[in-house]
Amino acid sequence: MFSTTTTKNVDPNRLRNTILVAVGSLVIVATYLYLVVGQPTEVAESSTSQASLIAIGGYVIGAILLAAGSIHRLPTATIAMIPVAIALNIVVGQIVAVLGLPVYIDSIGTVLVAALAGPAAGVVTGILTNVIWGLTLSPIALPFAVVQVIIGVMAGYAARMGMFRRFYLAPVAGFVTGIVAAVISAPISAFVFGGATGGGTGAIVGAFQAMGQSILGATTLQGLLSDPLDKAITFTIVVLILAALPNRFRQRFPFVRQYRVFGKAAPTVTSKSESAS
Amino acid sequence: MASTLYVDRESPVHRLNPVTKLVTLLTLIVVVFAIPFWWVAGIAVVAVIVPAAVVSGCGGRLAKLGFAILTPIILVLFIVQGLTFPGGKTALWEWGGIAITTEGLYFALGIGSRIICLVFASILFVLTTHPGDLLSALTERGMSPKFSYIISSTLQLIPAFQDRADGILLAQQARGLAIGKGLRGRVGAMMPLLAPLVLGMFTDVEERATAMEARGFGSTARRTALTPVPDTTAQRVFRWTMPVVAVAAIVLPIVTGAL
Repeated sequence: MFSTTTTKNVDPNRLRNTILVAVGSLVIVATYLYLVVGQPTEVAESSTSQASLIAIGGYVIGAILLAAGSIHRLPTATIAMIPVAIALNIVVGQIVAVLGLPVYIDSIGTVLVAALAGPAAGVVTGILTNVIWGLTLSPIALPFAVVQVIIGVMAGYAARMGMFRRFYLAPVAGFVTGIVAAVISAPISAFVFGGATGGGTGAIVGAFQAMGQSILGATTLQGLLSDPLDKAITFTIVVLILAALPNRFRQRFPFVRQYRVFGKAAPTVTSKSESAS
Repeated sequence: MASTLYVDRESPVHRLNPVTKLVTLLTLIVVVFAIPFWWVAGIAVVAVIVPAAVVSGCGGRLAKLGFAILTPIILVLFIVQGLTFPGGKTALWEWGGIAITTEGLYFALGIGSRIICLVFASILFVLTTHPGDLLSALTERGMSPKFSYIISSTLQLIPAFQDRADGILLAQQARGLAIGKGLRGRVGAMMPLLAPLVLGMFTDVEERATAMEARGFGSTARRTALTPVPDTTAQRVFRWTMPVVAVAAIVLPIVTGAL
């Protein structure tokens, strides 16, 4: 699945890594399908179901398997870049929270690494962002690790498809990523947190429930309201940052060269980011 | 923001092997989430977390951090689910078109007790475990050293990153950047901050990668620990019994039909 990042290196554990990634993806998909198709009525009636254990366990195990299968494929240059990306996620996420903006913008680093070094790097950045967030600021972030993993995978494939070549394509890719992220994160909000992950979002979930939605339906709709916008903004910021990075730096990544992430010519720098740098 | 919450103290909880604490934390979470009664989480908090917090001497900080994180969540949970729970039938209190239902409050109690247990247990773990010890203990047990490098490197980077961000913001303000009023002004202030921040941090990466490669970072050979993390036989036995407890907690409600 992610076999593209190290084409030259002969990996002795290639089969094991592929199996880890495949099983991890399967576990995540199976968890989601079980929670959505398997028992929607039972959860609506009482809190005595084990849906929360399955949501938290399935997603965490799936994310860990994906990360374990991905990390061995990464060259040292990428590993050295990931801490910077994680710090970027966390610091910008904090600044946005302080500025009081109604979005999160906590995945700029994940998208940036995925665009430069591929989906496997995005996966590792995503999961470790939430692990470190859990270690430093709030354990609430830990169950949501799988969402950042999905963002990393989607951003990596968006880069492969050339979505970062044009400024107007990046928000589209972000919007699609946001939809997937909202759908995947909804069972965690619903079954682990009962829809109450924050003041504003909780009120929206309550409003949807009052309109007759189930808990899962209400958290999915709430996510679809905020996540696509949030990720569209994130992807736009990333494409602006990428345009401001020196071409020499960008072309050093094998992933960028192999899939021509930026096309033949680099995207032109807008007047806004030019004045910024 | 300090880069970790760890409180450096001498206590029996601090001296435990980090893996023992991690296994206990995971087992506690599995038990609380697997057995579908709210009082299980209550017992876990009273019988495990509170004594451990008292012994570790971190009770005050634990309470402060825990309540800061939990208060908004628990309040929203009870208000939202009490008023709008889809399965709510019996109205406990009614006024106009608004009704608080018993089912809603019961659902909120079930979810809320688990969240309280999850948050307090994880914060206590972070307060009493040095990230470096945890990472070396996990690397000894076969976790890729790349994970340890990324996590510990990030923990050191975050304060440096914030200093740099503050510096850039001050410099941009000195040359006339106004953090405008309203949404557009605030978003406008983001780009002049981000571009130099990212450029500066990412250009450092290149030299670091060369230095790491020269010291055999990419090698897949098994490492020897420079500072072995202390461990005891009692803890080893304890760690092997914990997964059994977790599996029992998952299987028992299904077998006895308590669901």
